[in-house]
Amino acid sequence: MVDTAVAETAIGREPRRRVPRLNVLTGVVCGLILAGAGWGVSSWLLSAGDYGADRVVSITMVCWAVGFLVGVGALAGPIRWLLGRDLSVADEHVLAGKDQGVGRYFRFTTDHKVVGVQYLVLSMTLFGVGGLLAMLIRTQLIRPGARFVSPQTYNTIVGMHGIIMIIGTIIMVSGPFGNFILPIMIGARDMAFPRLNALSFWLICAAVPVLLATFFFGGIPTGWSVYAPLSDQAPAGMDCFLITIIIFAISSGIAGVNITTTAVKMRARGMTWTRTPIFVFGTVSSVALGVIAFPMFMAAMVLEGLNRTTGTVFYDAAHGGSAWLYAHLFWLMGHPEVYVILLPAFAAVLELTPVFARKPLFSFLGAVTGIAGIIGLSMFVWAHHMFISGWAPALDGPFMLTTELISIPTGLLILVLLGTLWRGTVWMRLPVMATFAMLWNFIIGGITGIYLSDVPVDQAMHGSMFVTAHFHFTLMGGALTGFAGALAYWFPKMTGRMLDERLGMIGFWIIQIGFNVTFLGMFAVGLAGQPRRVADYPSLFATGNLVSSIGAYIIGSGALIYLYAVVHSWRHGRRAPGNPWGAKTLEWQVPTPVPLENFTVLPVVTSDFYGYGEGGSAAPTPAPRRIAAPVPSGAAATTQEGGTA
Amino acid sequence: MRAFVGVAGTLLGGAVAVALAGTVLAHATTAPHQLRAQVSGTASTPQGELPHAFLELDTWPDSMAGEHGPSGGSHPDWVSYGPASSLSVPAHSLVTVTIRQYDTGGELNNDFFGTVRGTVDGTATVDGRAVTQVDPTEVGHTFTIHAIPSSQDPLFVSVPLPAVADDAPVLDNGYPAPHVITFSFITGGPGSYVWQCEYPCGDGTYANFGGPMSAQGYMEGTLTVG
Repeated sequence: MVDTAVAETAIGREPRRRVPRLNVLTGVVCGLILAGAGWGVSSWLLSAGDYGADRVVSITMVCWAVGFLVGVGALAGPIRWLLGRDLSVADEHVLAGKDQGVGRYFRFTTDHKVVGVQYLVLSMTLFGVGGLLAMLIRTQLIRPGARFVSPQTYNTIVGMHGIIMIIGTIIMVSGPFGNFILPIMIGARDMAFPRLNALSFWLICAAVPVLLATFFFGGIPTGWSVYAPLSDQAPAGMDCFLITIIIFAISSGIAGVNITTTAVKMRARGMTWTRTPIFVFGTVSSVALGVIAFPMFMAAMVLEGLNRTTGTVFYDAAHGGSAWLYAHLFWLMGHPEVYVILLPAFAAVLELTPVFARKPLFSFLGAVTGIAGIIGLSMFVWAHHMFISGWAPALDGPFMLTTELISIPTGLLILVLLGTLWRGTVWMRLPVMATFAMLWNFIIGGITGIYLSDVPVDQAMHGSMFVTAHFHFTLMGGALTGFAGALAYWFPKMTGRMLDERLGMIGFWIIQIGFNVTFLGMFAVGLAGQPRRVADYPSLFATGNLVSSIGAYIIGSGALIYLYAVVHSWRHGRRAPGNPWGAKTLEWQVPTPVPLENFTVLPVVTSDFYGYGEGGSAAPTPAPRRIAAPVPSGAAATTQEGGTA
Repeated sequence: MRAFVGVAGTLLGGAVAVALAGTVLAHATTAPHQLRAQVSGTASTPQGELPHAFLELDTWPDSMAGEHGPSGGSHPDWVSYGPASSLSVPAHSLVTVTIRQYDTGGELNNDFFGTVRGTVDGTATVDGRAVTQVDPTEVGHTFTIHAIPSSQDPLFVSVPLPAVADDAPVLDNGYPAPHVITFSFITGGPGSYVWQCEYPCGDGTYANFGGPMSAQGYMEGTLTVG
């Protein structure tokens, strides 16, 4: 026994000396060194010929990513395992960031709460960059004939805005809240695979500089859909884009498997599927759908990478390839991806609405059915993006039908929200504002989507600003609004501070007003025929574009106010009690800040979590002093202050 | 008060960030030098007596003889038009364009652009010989003016420029002896148009419409009528 203890101590010291020293800075240094080496070797051996520049750029970017991951410590565990010195419990605590202060947020830390906060900061940073590019787009389009940036630069800005926002919105709910909140919500101590959890985050961190590097290699003048053969003709910035997508697909695959496994295998005793919070259903459905969808995009990028670096012709019809192959692979990802973004945000709003309506969720089974229906149908709608591509016109009708059918489960979710609010006495706090805004925005986005699914309408509207306005109403007006609500709802638990509601409300509603001004104006010019992704337009679209640009600046102002409320509250906000909303789900029954392993003793669940005001709508009272956990636990009941009673 | 200052500072910071990013990106590509057509007298046209303006252009197999300077700028190996890609011609005028075509070529993707279109009489002269079309398998570039649908007068001109033979004699400037193509078209009222080459002479492993084909300053540019 003594020998074993000594051995464990010795092993335990090892990572204390090595792992904590590795952080984002060592990652950057290591990445740059390996990227330099990759560039040197590939320039020496592979730079000749038609594909030389693409080979050099691709290899350099892959080397950066691998070097960064090694430098940040992502491979410490596997290397120790290969060396026969697997991590001990003490080592795992070190990796989990125990007692490491703020520094743990800049390291390869396995604690799911740290990863959640890392995801939150990353997604907000991506929104900052993507939003800045949106301001530049709207500045270019503020009047016809404006020459703010060159057409090529404009094209790249549009493409970069698209992909940055897509990545940001994909991770914005499943990342922060799926990592921080979900494990606690289901009564688990951590994710199923903590090291993979951290790896999924740091993979994205490795990919972001690669994506931004596109600006320095000629950009992606193709839009983020990078259709073939445009992608074939694009400059070397396209190689950066390909590598980014491949890394992101690996990351999302890892995260999807991890979150799904966690929810399926690690729910607390007694938490049957009918007692599992709706947010868990939304998040798991989303990431599981991503596990199926994103490899399609990855495959498309791998094939395009081969075209660009080795001269294969996968998308070249003249040599036996097919540009439709790319379109299929892209949209087999592209449309499910809409629901990957939407579902967790919708589920977050479904989760918080009963708390503020003080009513049970209206038709829990309806909500689950709606989510399942969306997931099931989402894989059978992709070709509505290809109505005018000439591929299989006989299938236009079936794909129109499946696309219109998906409005039924989506409508079911809207009905669940409306039913939850119906005759409730709503506690009008900042999080529930997202419910109202999402209902308004998403119904507009959804109904215009039904129009666009109709083949004749799509033939007229395809590629127009009408489409741009439609998907912004669903993804920004719906999903991003849901994220804002989720952030306001779980902010106290994640940061230990209350979000400044006055500034938050001001920022939130300025965003919503600006959003509607921007994109209702865009519907108008789209209906009039303005094509999207074009740097200039005839003067007949001038008024609508001016309105949209003014609206965009209003959105930007509101977003900055909201951002200030978040950052200021995070540092100086009022300290949050353990359960400020009087919510019943498990994450609100643990102390704030949440201990490293979440629960002293794992809870046992005996009922669902939506028993608010059973028998009638409850008055919108502030959180009660003491909240009975919904779990007579085999363990401990908890108090509002979070102490274990 | 503190919140007000904080919000104001954040808004200001955001505006500065947008302005900085915009300024950097706007200056990443400098405004191209504009080539103005020289007006010299008048000419009889089907539309009566009109001012007669002249433009002289070149098409090079690289970017080292035009507006990008002797070093060729950031893409010295890209094919290019010269001496400028931003063109200006007078309204309601006869414009005669002379292009010295120094580049080799190949087959058009679309034979439509092998025919002379939109010029006076539907003809152009190639080395002094009047033509209405050229062999679509031996085209070096095209000079094609497009208009977007708007209230301005429509304008569409497309002239194929024959390819220089691979064994053409080399001149003192290092380029092969060019074909000289001349054509005339009549402008309407003031407006903004784009022109580009429609022969696939750009980047890409099979479609060849990237790089210089999609970059102003190389094989595309603007035409201002005013």
